[in-house]
Amino acid sequence: MKPWPFEYHRANSIEDAIATLGRHGEGARLLAGGQSLIPMMNLGLATPDLVVDVGNLSDLAYVLVEDGVLRIGALATHNTIMEADASASACPMLVVAYHSVAHHTIRNRGTLGGNICHADPASEMPLVLTLLDASMVIRGARGERVVAAGNFFIDAFETEVEPAEMLTEIRIPAQAAGEGYAFEEMSQRKGDFAIVSAGCRLSIRKGQMTNVRFGLTGAGAQTRRMSVVEAKLEGAGPDDRLLAEAAELAVVNSDPSDDIHADAAYRLDLVRTMSRRVLAAAVRMTAKQGAL
Amino acid sequence: MRTQKVELTINGTTYSGHVEPRMLLSDFIRQVARLTGTHVGCEHGVCGACTVQIDGKTARSCLTFAVQAEGHDIRTVEALGKQGALHPIQEAFWEKHGLQCGYCTPGMLMRAEEFLASNPTPSREDIIEAISGNLCRCTGYQTIVDAIEHAATLLKSQTAEA
Amino acid sequence: MKDQTRRIPASRQREKPGQKTKWIGTDMKRVEDPRLLTGQGRYADDVSVPGMLHAATLSSPHAHARIISIDVSKARALPGVVAVMTGEAVARLTGPLPCFSNPPVEQRCVAIDRVRHVGEPVAIIAAESRYIAEDAARLIEVEYEPLPAMNDPRKAMHAIGEGVLHPARGDTNVAMHRNFSFGDVAGDFARATRVVKRSLRWARSGAQPLETCGAVSEYDSATGKFTIHVNSSMYNYVGWLLAVTLGVPVHKLNIIPTIAGGSFGSKLFIHKVPVISAVLARETGRPVKYLEDRSDNILACDHHGSDRFYDCELALDHNDKMISMRCKVIDDYGAYFQFDIGHHGNALSQITGPYQIGSVEADITAVMTNKCQQGAYRGFGSEVSNYVMERMVDAACSEFGLDPVEFRRKNFIKPEQFPYFIPTGNLYDSGNYPAVLDKALQMLDYDGWRNKQKEARKEGRYIGIGLATCQERSVFSATEFWMLNHEAGFALTSSPEGVKVKIDPTGNAVITLQAPFWGNSPETMATMILAEHLTMDPANISVTYADTDSGIAGTGPGGSRFTVMVAGAIVSASQVIRKKLFLLAAHLLDADPSEMELFDGKVRVKGRQGAEKSIADLAMMAHFFRLSFPDTPEFDTGLDASCTYDHPLTTMPSEDRKDLGIFYPIMGHMCHMPVVEIDVETGKVKFLDYVAVHDCGTIVNPMTLAGHVRGGTAQGIGSAIYEEYKYADDGQLLNANFADYILPSVNEVPPNVRVGHVVTPSPFTEYGIKGGGEGGRMGAPPAIASAIEDALKPFGVKADFLPLTPAKLRGLIRQATANQ
Repeated sequence: MKPWPFEYHRANSIEDAIATLGRHGEGARLLAGGQSLIPMMNLGLATPDLVVDVGNLSDLAYVLVEDGVLRIGALATHNTIMEADASASACPMLVVAYHSVAHHTIRNRGTLGGNICHADPASEMPLVLTLLDASMVIRGARGERVVAAGNFFIDAFETEVEPAEMLTEIRIPAQAAGEGYAFEEMSQRKGDFAIVSAGCRLSIRKGQMTNVRFGLTGAGAQTRRMSVVEAKLEGAGPDDRLLAEAAELAVVNSDPSDDIHADAAYRLDLVRTMSRRVLAAAVRMTAKQGAL
Repeated sequence: MRTQKVELTINGTTYSGHVEPRMLLSDFIRQVARLTGTHVGCEHGVCGACTVQIDGKTARSCLTFAVQAEGHDIRTVEALGKQGALHPIQEAFWEKHGLQCGYCTPGMLMRAEEFLASNPTPSREDIIEAISGNLCRCTGYQTIVDAIEHAATLLKSQTAEA
Repeated sequence: MKDQTRRIPASRQREKPGQKTKWIGTDMKRVEDPRLLTGQGRYADDVSVPGMLHAATLSSPHAHARIISIDVSKARALPGVVAVMTGEAVARLTGPLPCFSNPPVEQRCVAIDRVRHVGEPVAIIAAESRYIAEDAARLIEVEYEPLPAMNDPRKAMHAIGEGVLHPARGDTNVAMHRNFSFGDVAGDFARATRVVKRSLRWARSGAQPLETCGAVSEYDSATGKFTIHVNSSMYNYVGWLLAVTLGVPVHKLNIIPTIAGGSFGSKLFIHKVPVISAVLARETGRPVKYLEDRSDNILACDHHGSDRFYDCELALDHNDKMISMRCKVIDDYGAYFQFDIGHHGNALSQITGPYQIGSVEADITAVMTNKCQQGAYRGFGSEVSNYVMERMVDAACSEFGLDPVEFRRKNFIKPEQFPYFIPTGNLYDSGNYPAVLDKALQMLDYDGWRNKQKEARKEGRYIGIGLATCQERSVFSATEFWMLNHEAGFALTSSPEGVKVKIDPTGNAVITLQAPFWGNSPETMATMILAEHLTMDPANISVTYADTDSGIAGTGPGGSRFTVMVAGAIVSASQVIRKKLFLLAAHLLDADPSEMELFDGKVRVKGRQGAEKSIADLAMMAHFFRLSFPDTPEFDTGLDASCTYDHPLTTMPSEDRKDLGIFYPIMGHMCHMPVVEIDVETGKVKFLDYVAVHDCGTIVNPMTLAGHVRGGTAQGIGSAIYEEYKYADDGQLLNANFADYILPSVNEVPPNVRVGHVVTPSPFTEYGIKGGGEGGRMGAPPAIASAIEDALKPFGVKADFLPLTPAKLRGLIRQATANQ
């Protein structure tokens, strides 16, 4: 169970990394924390012929709040983000969701940047960042562009980042005060990828739900924000029946398939349950915060 | 097969070898540095047997290339106590029967050391969360939790003495 | 039982239970631990020999296919590759792997014409590194002609022609079909007032120790001798069969054991791995290491667990007494058949559980399919039989509205009925089942939990209390490997355990065992027993493991036998040593040997103050001062003993197999009572409490025994809820990695498995010890199934298959809700 042979280049700057990727073309992969890429290489599922190690670009390991935006350098590790005061104050939902992500030792080395570029459909963070209206800063030879999370994740294991580009920063607008949010998942073991996970944020103004963000993993081939469910809730009062109907709507709009851990019927059951639970939890949280 | 010189600091000693960039840190530790206390269980990052510390933080040595670890400080189970002068965590694992076959043990110890440094007075729930990424097939974990709980006490009294 | 004329051999017990002991019965810290804790255990992968090459295999991607051609030229040309061998090349140097079935099913360490399961080696490579060896494997070009893949034994058993795995054995995949009937089954069913029927399923899981199998082999062409370092057990029992496979005389193979990082049965007798490394060593003239990686181990370790389909009927009389049970079982053995249906022999030792059931029938069909073959996994097939028995008991209770506690109690074999013959002919040596049950009920606070369960249900929570009272046979004997065959083949009757005890000139002892540590505590256990017997300080005792050159007869752990058997051998050896010590001391102290006694590391004359010699003094005299003693042979130099202890109680099966003889009589017992809560929306099972009370006779070390109980329970939880090797219809194994084959982590097990003991000593073993190494896994699955069923009683869900994964459990609930 050894990786196939490859050439190794330790990048000393973003520019160096991008230039190296550009020179090499297809077959080169960026290596950050390696917690997604290396297992795939050990299993022979990823066989890059050039590995560009950006793991030592410590300038990109920052987590800070600036002008109401949580800015996360692409090489900040999960634990750095999870434990940062900046995260807790600006984006508490991120911290809550992190409790379901892998295990401490993996989070020590794994980076959020690497995680979302890997874009595993069962991974939690693509959903969370989507719900948090994050945007990604992508650097290439021609400069920088900023892509909204909703456009960043194209498909399973496919993102907007081109082969000769590098994700450099993740920007998350601070969550509104009084906002309710929740994240829940069902996995085989705690720390495993979710079979189904659900996330939700919402605010309540004058008894009506607003700024509703809701999405799921495991409900289809990829991570999804469910606008139909959001639309149903937006502007409505948060009564239990409506939340149950919204969960049903999530079920109707899900299209999961069978895999070795769960059949589609089970996933649909989980979609219903997880949806209802996160919606209810988010509503409860707004109530607790006295925002009604 | 292109090799390159890789020089790693493990437990304060420098080891160097001409290895391929694909050589996993676990293999470097075991084969080049000949420190066989670090065990390899799954080689895809799930079991945690190969857990070592890099710059004081635990890492799966099977999910790290040796070449990545250049310039970093690596610690393995051999850096804890020696026979006759066990580290309090090792002492606690012995006392509480926190091991049977011993294969997951070095990884558990490295994780326990990192964990207790950040949380010297943990609850059992904290300990459970802390070792949830390290699999053990022998003990059913309960005595490992006991051991780490006991280790916290031993470490505390050691600090008090010092 | 009815036939009181059956003979029970006289007990050979020398050390009686209930003695005042200094070490036996204490929580002595393990002597193995300091080296393991400091990373100095020497496991198979830690063996490194100068010039050593590393091996890898090319694994079959097909479940069933003919090998048309293999081209290894590109692999051979890769720099760093020293040898590439196909099955044909290997077959020129080796014979088939050892197989205990009759007629044997031919298995090669590298497939020759046909592959029979995914992961089966098709070619092997030795190279300068494992990395290069794996690169080479990818360069081998193989042309396959796919054959129909047999995935379901219920279909495979009817296949003919292309779908038959071993045409040389006939045009069928049925490896064996036999019907065993004991007692008047038909008559008992005819007089039954009620019969309960169930179809039960036990899915395939496996030991998956964290360390895989590995071997380092050397071949000395000057002497023609192989040396193999391997983490196998049983090498001093059947290791010589590897010499036969390697085509050398038995004395031209020395097997040197390494400790094992867990086995749970799966390293009982490793054959493929050492042969692959040895044949490459011979081919290359260099030492070769072959260590399975995780994928090799999951796909091709030759030790998957039982995989069975049962149709069962249990007959009750008008007093709610169980009178007979019959079951048809189809067992999916996979592609080979190394241990024959020994697993069913094992199950037949306790098939009627702790109950007085007068007759039993087992109709067994062993089927070959395109999967990794079955081997040993903690329980060796009897854990399945426990599950089945307890499921049937629960089924009877739920169907006929009987109380599961009282029904069990009523049907238990009573303490005064021991020794007790069950219908198959096996004997239960001793037991006190009501005491175990009572202790469990009390420890759990059963009534308290029943009340909490009621309260919780009002809140819409689903709590279930499980109960399983089952057997824990221990100390296997050899007959179970052949007694079920049509023809016995090699009808061996020995399963001995030997030890060598040497007292060195300074009075320290070295105990040599014939099988290595594999996660159990053999060094601690042997140390405790010898210290007890010779009144020595445990610090002055060390334990080592014999290679085959120096080893004597010894079988090794398995079937929960090692503690009982080693204790027997140590008692023998220390008797020899004690006798010599007494002789020497008596001469030096001018007394008669019969007046001597051992006390605190000294030999003294009973009742004579100051007349004593330390063991150390006597050892020095014994080694270096021959002329101080009379010129008779009993004073000859040295202080050591090699002793073999044979199985304490076995008899031959009858010719017609209506009586299987006494083959697994040292009978432990357990009661497991888990309390679970089920999230009915997700199917997630959470443990709220867990009590496990075991009766393993006299306990040598309560701490390590509790470790076995808890560890086995965790594995039982795996088999009950999480673990299954999932083969697709085309024979692909879909979860051949640790991300998808779900071993329980600390979150999936109860935070506190509360262990209790009842001690009913065996009348047949030294000190009354019984085995206890497998127990947890033999009790947890039926107990958990029972708890889950209890929790979901409002839905009427039946826990008739395992594993009950959250997805499966939720499916049952969904179905039940839809039907309501």
